[in-house]
Amino acid sequence: MPVAASAIYFLNLRGDVLINRLYRDDVGGNMVDAFRMHIMQTKELGTCPVRQIGGCSFLYMRISNVYIVIVVSGNANVACAFKFVVEAVALFKSYFGGAFDEDAIRNNFVLIYELLDEIMDFGYPQNLSPEILKLYITQEGVRSPFSSKPSERAVPNATLQVTGAVGWRREGLVYKKNEVFLDIVESVNLLMSSKGTVLRCDVTGKILMKCFLSGMPDLKLGLNDKIGLEKEAQLKSRPTKSGKTIELDDVTFHQCVNLTRFNSEKTVSFVPPDGEFELMKYRITEGVNFPFRVFPTIKELGRTRMEVNVKVKSAFGAKMFALGVVIKVPVPKQTAKANFQVTSGRAKYNASVDCLVWKIRKFPGQTEATMSAEVELISTMTEKMTSTKPPIQMEFQVPMFTASGLRVRFLKVWEKSGYNTVEWVRYITKAGSYEIRC
Amino acid sequence: MALSGMRGLSVFISDIRNCQNKEQERLRVDKELGNVRTRFKNEKGLTPYEKKKYVWKMLYIYMLGYDVDFGHMETVSLISAPKYPEKQARSYSTCMLNENHDFLRLAINTVRNDIIGRNETFQCLALTMVGNIGGREFAESLAPDVQKLLISSSCRPLVRKKAALCLLRLYRKNADVVNVDGWADRMTQLLDERDLGVLTSSMSLLVALVSNNHEAYWSCLPKCVKILERLARNQDVPQEYTYYGIPSPWLQVKTMRALQYFPVIEDPNTRRSLFEVLQRVLVGTDVVKNVNKNNASHAVLFEALSLVMHLDAEKEMMSQCVALLGKFIAVREPNIRYLGLENMTRMLMVTDVQEIIKKHQAQIITSLKDPDISIRRRALDLLYGMCDVSNAKDIVEELLQYLSTSDFAMREELSLKAAILAEKFAPDLSWYVDVILQLIDKAGDFVSDDIWFRVVQFVTNNEDLQPYAALKAREYLDKPAIHETMVKVSAYLLGEYSHLLARRPGCSPKEIFIIIHEKLPTVSTPTIPILLSTYAKILMHTQPPDPELQNQILAIFQKYESCIDAEIQQRAVEYFTLSRKGPALADILAEMPKFPERQSALIKKAEDIETDTAEQSAIKLRAQQQISNALVVTDYRPPNGTPPPVSSLNLVKVSSTSSNSDYNSVDQGADHTNGTVSKSDSQTASADLLGDLLGPLAIEGPPGAATSEQSVLSGGDVPSAADAAAIVPVQDQPNSVQPIGNIAERFHALCLKDSGVLYEDPYIQIGIKADWRAHQGRLVLFLGNKNTSPLVSVQALILPPLNLKMELSLVPDTIPPRAQVQCPLEIINLRPSRDVAVLDFSYKFGTNVVNNKLRLPAVINKFLQPIQLSAEEFFPQWRSLSGPPLKLQEVVRGVRPLPLMELANLFNSCRVMVCPGLDPNPNNLVASTTFYSESTRAMLCLVRIETDPADRTQLRMTVASGDPTLTFELKEFIKEQLVYIPEASHGPTQVPAPAVPQAPVIPPDDPAAILAGLL
Repeated sequence: MPVAASAIYFLNLRGDVLINRLYRDDVGGNMVDAFRMHIMQTKELGTCPVRQIGGCSFLYMRISNVYIVIVVSGNANVACAFKFVVEAVALFKSYFGGAFDEDAIRNNFVLIYELLDEIMDFGYPQNLSPEILKLYITQEGVRSPFSSKPSERAVPNATLQVTGAVGWRREGLVYKKNEVFLDIVESVNLLMSSKGTVLRCDVTGKILMKCFLSGMPDLKLGLNDKIGLEKEAQLKSRPTKSGKTIELDDVTFHQCVNLTRFNSEKTVSFVPPDGEFELMKYRITEGVNFPFRVFPTIKELGRTRMEVNVKVKSAFGAKMFALGVVIKVPVPKQTAKANFQVTSGRAKYNASVDCLVWKIRKFPGQTEATMSAEVELISTMTEKMTSTKPPIQMEFQVPMFTASGLRVRFLKVWEKSGYNTVEWVRYITKAGSYEIRC
Repeated sequence: MALSGMRGLSVFISDIRNCQNKEQERLRVDKELGNVRTRFKNEKGLTPYEKKKYVWKMLYIYMLGYDVDFGHMETVSLISAPKYPEKQARSYSTCMLNENHDFLRLAINTVRNDIIGRNETFQCLALTMVGNIGGREFAESLAPDVQKLLISSSCRPLVRKKAALCLLRLYRKNADVVNVDGWADRMTQLLDERDLGVLTSSMSLLVALVSNNHEAYWSCLPKCVKILERLARNQDVPQEYTYYGIPSPWLQVKTMRALQYFPVIEDPNTRRSLFEVLQRVLVGTDVVKNVNKNNASHAVLFEALSLVMHLDAEKEMMSQCVALLGKFIAVREPNIRYLGLENMTRMLMVTDVQEIIKKHQAQIITSLKDPDISIRRRALDLLYGMCDVSNAKDIVEELLQYLSTSDFAMREELSLKAAILAEKFAPDLSWYVDVILQLIDKAGDFVSDDIWFRVVQFVTNNEDLQPYAALKAREYLDKPAIHETMVKVSAYLLGEYSHLLARRPGCSPKEIFIIIHEKLPTVSTPTIPILLSTYAKILMHTQPPDPELQNQILAIFQKYESCIDAEIQQRAVEYFTLSRKGPALADILAEMPKFPERQSALIKKAEDIETDTAEQSAIKLRAQQQISNALVVTDYRPPNGTPPPVSSLNLVKVSSTSSNSDYNSVDQGADHTNGTVSKSDSQTASADLLGDLLGPLAIEGPPGAATSEQSVLSGGDVPSAADAAAIVPVQDQPNSVQPIGNIAERFHALCLKDSGVLYEDPYIQIGIKADWRAHQGRLVLFLGNKNTSPLVSVQALILPPLNLKMELSLVPDTIPPRAQVQCPLEIINLRPSRDVAVLDFSYKFGTNVVNNKLRLPAVINKFLQPIQLSAEEFFPQWRSLSGPPLKLQEVVRGVRPLPLMELANLFNSCRVMVCPGLDPNPNNLVASTTFYSESTRAMLCLVRIETDPADRTQLRMTVASGDPTLTFELKEFIKEQLVYIPEASHGPTQVPAPAVPQAPVIPPDDPAAILAGLL
């Protein structure tokens, strides 16, 4: 495996180093100065995540108000490095309880150093699973060696845990109430032309699980995806159901999923890790149900006035409703004032993003809402209007709706002791980049 | 300030200042701009207060660097506001507006009213605004008013100060606003001003005016000196204009700056009093504790120093300056030290002071170790500039020592400079080799290829140096870890010359091979070919052959035969095949022949760097001024010189340009297949050093072997056998000195140009630079010794023809090694004649006495002055000169066929101006010129050429002038030019004697002419 990092730096937005860790000595200690000088202080920040300066490559990404910079020399695996950063951030978040920002880093120096030592060795990524790391790296204070009381819990056997057959799950877990939570979270990406034709659309979805199960349970998940259904029909030698089936692309699974069984039987069976994890990710490009349709009409009345009409229709079931709908209609930079009339929600002009922002808290299914606005522009010294017209952007969340139409057919839990489990299944669809040109 | 009342504005500003980062700031600004837009669009309109407030906000945002492209209407509407705060906001906020904006036209009238009004504050605001915008329209309509304000006596100084600065701004934008004729007198009057504030502003204006056109303001010069005197004596300087006891340092500096724009000061009285002032400044300035005082006094002092330099003061004063600077570079304060070093570098331009500067060498070297890199750089520049033969050794050694501790950023420059100094001023060559090898050892990464190419070149060209260099290289190879460049140099040197060491312990071919081969796994691809060549050479030098070594080496060649790098593969294949040739190998792989002398690539590179840094290039200037001190042989051939590049070995050029261009691309690792022979043609002066060394090592042998090998190996451009037969080793003719290049061609090229090389041989190069003015001319001979030993018994004698009067200044008896001397030659043309002056030139090199008779390019066309005639001028003249002997006609045959365009060019380059359109026939040319001589004075000459489009080799020529001899001579001269074919002399013209040009008529009465004819 190629090297992923020679050094990792955490910088704040001003370029001060919060924490750094050098894994190899093939890069100098002052590399971050080069980053500050040649990337942060130039306009190129944010244009390209990989830059090469003086024989070193800088891979960086910004997470809230922190830049994470990986410096490597030589031919490193860039994808691996970025995956490492993403995973590391997830790990830190699970340790800090949510937020990952400058303050969180400042408050957890020691812990972060400890983790950085653990998750990467000499530039090679190591175990980044929060569940396992939490067993050994804890935020408890150092126990005095003279303390009379020996620790109550047996020190877990680290080697066995990491090298064992089920490296992601500890033996001997006991829960009073055995519960499984399964969320299907989908985000819809759409780009529609002003005439209503779909230019680009896809759904990226992931299945998140939270398990509180005793012992070593074996789980089996059935979805209404095409391959799974066909296989099942083939096995049970009955004709395929005529109902809608979904074709999943680019499926990736958590390491706990038994791939041999997936290959032979096309069922997802696995021994889950304890707690929260991401079971699988997928993508769908065909047969997407759009939750909303947007019909904008924008008229320019002379040089200083504009009329904006936007109609939004919800296309999901009448019993469902969308939450937190925000529609952003871009207007020229020289907008001075806007008068609105809306059928629901509230709209206003936001000068710092140059958009008319229309917010609807709750949007029932199979209904429509309209906004009409009169926009007044101020005259400018440069004669021409700005020619760029960014698309209308939309944000929303629709619970109990999947844009792909994916459904859980069954989730079976099997354990030696044969206890009863409670399964909870939720669906939610969010907007990814949901854009309509106008 | 009127802002005190505006709460919204101060809240906004404090918001912006509290922003943590740029993004927050942008959001805040966008929000505020949205707010301002909403307010401006408000139907109710704005109160003047609000309007003013928002305009201030916009101005603040604009100053932060954001685009504000609205609000101009509101700004303009402030223009007519009657109150002060609004006017103030207006005059500042208009800077957001583009100077070409239409809305500004609305403002002109209001502003003008303010300017000519009585209220001083309004006048000031208006002047500020005009200065800020300074557009053309403003300048045109308001400049007269501003000028009036400036010279009016009724205005307060405050207003006049502003007026002067405003005029300065307008002048910078648009130089037409100041009418030179009328204004010069006014300017002079202005300098009589007693008020120092007005005077300072006027002086700023004067500096700008003088920098464009100093002649018009000549009358200001004595006034400037007066002002300086007044300040220096501290007469009549009010308290508020003395800064830490120094009377108005600003005015002093500006005045001295203005004085530097005047070329010289002629009036002795003014000059004397100016020097008195300068003397006072030089003496009176000292380093004190107070920083501000120091800054002020040193600003004055350094300006005074540059004025002293500018004025070319007496030596005494100069040495005083240097002493002062020497004091400064010893000071702790880094700023002062920096200035001291910088000014000392500038001082180097002034010739005499070098010796005095040398006294401070130790101090300058200490500055090299300064913690401040800018000081180190200045010290390096200064050391580089002041280095000469006497102190080179110390300086270079100091630089070498410093190299290992110096900053990375400086190392490349440092190593380059050290290398150049070592090359320029080496007392002996082994020292040079030592220095460069040390340099490579210490700063491998920063040593550019040029440096080691150069040392290889030196070693190759100096036989006595070869064993020493090889030994040194061998010693360096013993070191445990050496830089790759060192591997390259050592491998190359040992490959070439290790056989010279064979008797020494540890230097047997086998041992050398082993020690070089150890390095092979550590080197990069470009080095491997060099190592392979070295192996081949070692193999060749092993006598008697050592089968074990041979097998080892052949195994390596075989291994690399399948290398992915084409260059390595090719060499491996070639060497493998060659090594099977047995005894022929020794011929093929003979030692590299000598390189032709050429300008050091290092110096070229250093010059490039200097122009790149665009820093004050005193060193370069100095180099230009004192060309004679540039010891390394410089090539006076102009870059696009007409004579083709000629080999120092007097080889016939092997192949045409195709092989040359192929050759130039060697450095890109291109496939040049003629590996065996290309070396011999690489001797033709390709300026590309890189190519020489990265190309395969010279494999030059007797013609037979070479050609047979070619046919085996090279597929592409194989030179013909005849060409190859011309490859003669230089040793064959040890006693006769062969000129480089064709003397006749050089002479003819110089007939059409004013500077170039007249003569060159392996020892000397004679360059010429000429300057012709009417019937007089000045010709400078540059005698450059190309060698490391002096040329003695140098003699130059001019044999002038009867028509020229020539005076040659004294030619020194000896030319020191690598030096160049200049001998000016004054020429006066007495009467028209085609006879040529001859330079009888001789010198002694070792035991060789070389004598050459060279024609000097003081020919008839040098005394011509092209003149363009119109038809009305031409035809009466043409008609009035009728018939022989004033007008001569001749049909010339055997003319080189040329298109009409080129024919016209030829005439123009002979300084006979072709007047197009005079002759209705497009096949004819009509040309005119003026001839100057003492007897004829200026004489108009007219030429008409009628060509025959069917037969380009013949034409009819008619020449007319007011003097019979002139007509004849000019006709003959043009005929020579038409018949003579400069490019004709390619082919095997090995003879040093130039081809005799076809001089059809030699007047029998002139000995010099006969001589010239014989040459």
